[in-house]
Amino acid sequence: MCLCFVYTRMYIHTISIYKSLGLSVIINFVSFQLSKVWSGLVFSIIIPRMDYVMTNGDGEDVVIVENAQTDAVLGSHRDKLLIDTDPGIDDTMAIFMAFQSPELEILGLTTIFGNTSTEIATQNALRLCEIAGCSGIPVAEGSAGPLKGGIPRVADFIHGSDGLGNTHLPPAKAKKSEKSASEFLVEKVSEYPGEVSILALGPLTNLALAIKRDSSFASKVKRLVILGGAFFALGNVNPAAEANIYGDPEAADVVFTSGANIAVVGINVTTQVMFTVKCSMYSIRMTLSFLSGVFLHDPVSFVALVRPDLFTFKKGVVRVETQGICAGHTLLDQGLKKWNSSNPWTEHSPVSVAWTVNVKGVLDYIRKLLMKP
Amino acid sequence: MAAQPKKIIIDTDPGIDDAMAIFVALRSPEVEVIGLTTIYGNVYTTLATRNALHLLEVAGRTDIPVAEGSHVSITNNAKLRIAGFVHGTDGLGNQNFPPPKGKPIEQSAADFLIEQAKLHPGKVTVVALGPLTNIALAIQGDPAFSKNIGQIVLLGGAFLVNGNVNPASEANIFGDPDAADIVFTSGADVVAVGINVTHQVVFTDADREKLSRSDGKFAQYLCKILDVYFSYHHDAYNIKGVYLHDPATMLAAVDPSLMTYTEGVVRVQTSGITKGLTILYNKQKRFGEVTEWTDKPTVKVAVTADAPALVELVMERLMDS
Repeated sequence: MCLCFVYTRMYIHTISIYKSLGLSVIINFVSFQLSKVWSGLVFSIIIPRMDYVMTNGDGEDVVIVENAQTDAVLGSHRDKLLIDTDPGIDDTMAIFMAFQSPELEILGLTTIFGNTSTEIATQNALRLCEIAGCSGIPVAEGSAGPLKGGIPRVADFIHGSDGLGNTHLPPAKAKKSEKSASEFLVEKVSEYPGEVSILALGPLTNLALAIKRDSSFASKVKRLVILGGAFFALGNVNPAAEANIYGDPEAADVVFTSGANIAVVGINVTTQVMFTVKCSMYSIRMTLSFLSGVFLHDPVSFVALVRPDLFTFKKGVVRVETQGICAGHTLLDQGLKKWNSSNPWTEHSPVSVAWTVNVKGVLDYIRKLLMKP
Repeated sequence: MAAQPKKIIIDTDPGIDDAMAIFVALRSPEVEVIGLTTIYGNVYTTLATRNALHLLEVAGRTDIPVAEGSHVSITNNAKLRIAGFVHGTDGLGNQNFPPPKGKPIEQSAADFLIEQAKLHPGKVTVVALGPLTNIALAIQGDPAFSKNIGQIVLLGGAFLVNGNVNPASEANIFGDPDAADIVFTSGADVVAVGINVTHQVVFTDADREKLSRSDGKFAQYLCKILDVYFSYHHDAYNIKGVYLHDPATMLAAVDPSLMTYTEGVVRVQTSGITKGLTILYNKQKRFGEVTEWTDKPTVKVAVTADAPALVELVMERLMDS
């Protein structure tokens, strides 16, 4: 009952906001499909065709056609995905987007501190799975603090004390996994070597622990997409550092130099998308009842996972400063110069750093996914 | 009536492009060179002093005093990086010039800087072409120095680009990161010209050809020493030309309008793998927390340069010599 209420409320929000924006919305849908659409596990069910017709501010009709039938055939060949997350408002958007992507099979969520404490992140992750009708998805709790120890930095001034804009959703019924996040990551990746992608949306402690736990972990991960860093741009914690990397610089350096197939999306790219947020995105934010501002960092990195064609990447070695006033600074060797002696960048494997982004393409993709009822 | 030429002291580690910069300064009516101070960097400090004296003799300007600077960094680090592979083991293209006849003055570089700044308050510009140890020592040696000194125009840093010593760090800042952080946060009127700007100022093979056809004394001299510098650039950067780091910085002092600048707080990383990293905070973004950049004095940082005009001016001043 409770969950139904949440859904209904969210849906009504959507419509009322469109009305208030002067948009007319016609949505054809079959009742009760919601929970099915949200479920990454029940995808043999054919989802009805969805048509949205909206009139934008210029009076043009914008028709978005979703033919979900094609999704149904994906049942057995879906890409396996693990999400390491600190939900977090924009994490929530990325997680919902993943659940909305029939081509993905979500093997589980692992939690980490960042937007909130690891413990609250775990509760939020469980709740989000329930809301999405995916309560069977395992949630493994991650490290309570960074590799070097000490108290984690938690940005609850951005995401509210519960990490979800102080919405204080009802507690989850499901329980977290018995396994720790790094244990769970190693287990899943070893079970399907070369098949599992990982989306890392918070500090990289769990990933670093998994790499330390199993020396073959890095080579067995299909693709690791990381939200983090500020490449040749100002940070967001301080001028030198971006929050996720700053949360555990040692872990980040372990991960970037692990040799894994890594794509990293820094705030130099995600902020480009944030700047062009339009009304429709605003309505999505409202839909989710989160009131703390528009953060698209995590959704953008999700798009980098599923639609890398919407980005360009620069390949090079990335190291993370772990000391001094620039702790958490991510530094990419662009390879423009031949070094005459070895330095901390030489002899490490390169990673792909998101360099440019097709802003419209990414926004369209996010809009499409989140507007799927 | 022409304005009074700007008094400048060149803090330098010659160095092939230092030699070009010094000659450009000596041929620029807008400035009056009142002294050279020396520092390690391209070469060791003793060799820098020797080369500074030599260059002034070549120019016939032995009236200009040379004050020898620090042999070690401000944290007493003697393991300093010397760029023999860029400038030759003698710093001047392996030409084995005869030793200079002149001697440096008794005063140390820092004392000379302090004294001149005090003598002409607000009127002396330091053009710093090497690691910033001498300037930092002057700041530490006299609390009034950062007020007395007119301006410090320095070649240093890599702002939002890779460094040239390693991916993080530019050579001059890397040479003494602690000194650089002292200078950037001293409150003095500082103009920083980083390699993000000087890498746009390329002196091509064709420019060199043109220079070699000139009868100018400086032009002839420089063409002799430029070989090593050209071959280094060809190997390291795969470009047919050389970066005019020092001459471009010198011209920023001669004619500031050849570059554009932004203003912000610059801090230097002094430890770790990114030691020597320069981070500019231009205050366009607000942070939720107090940072190491909060409430520090600002400096000017060059962001664009009129590269063709800079190369043209270097050429003009050197050919007409």
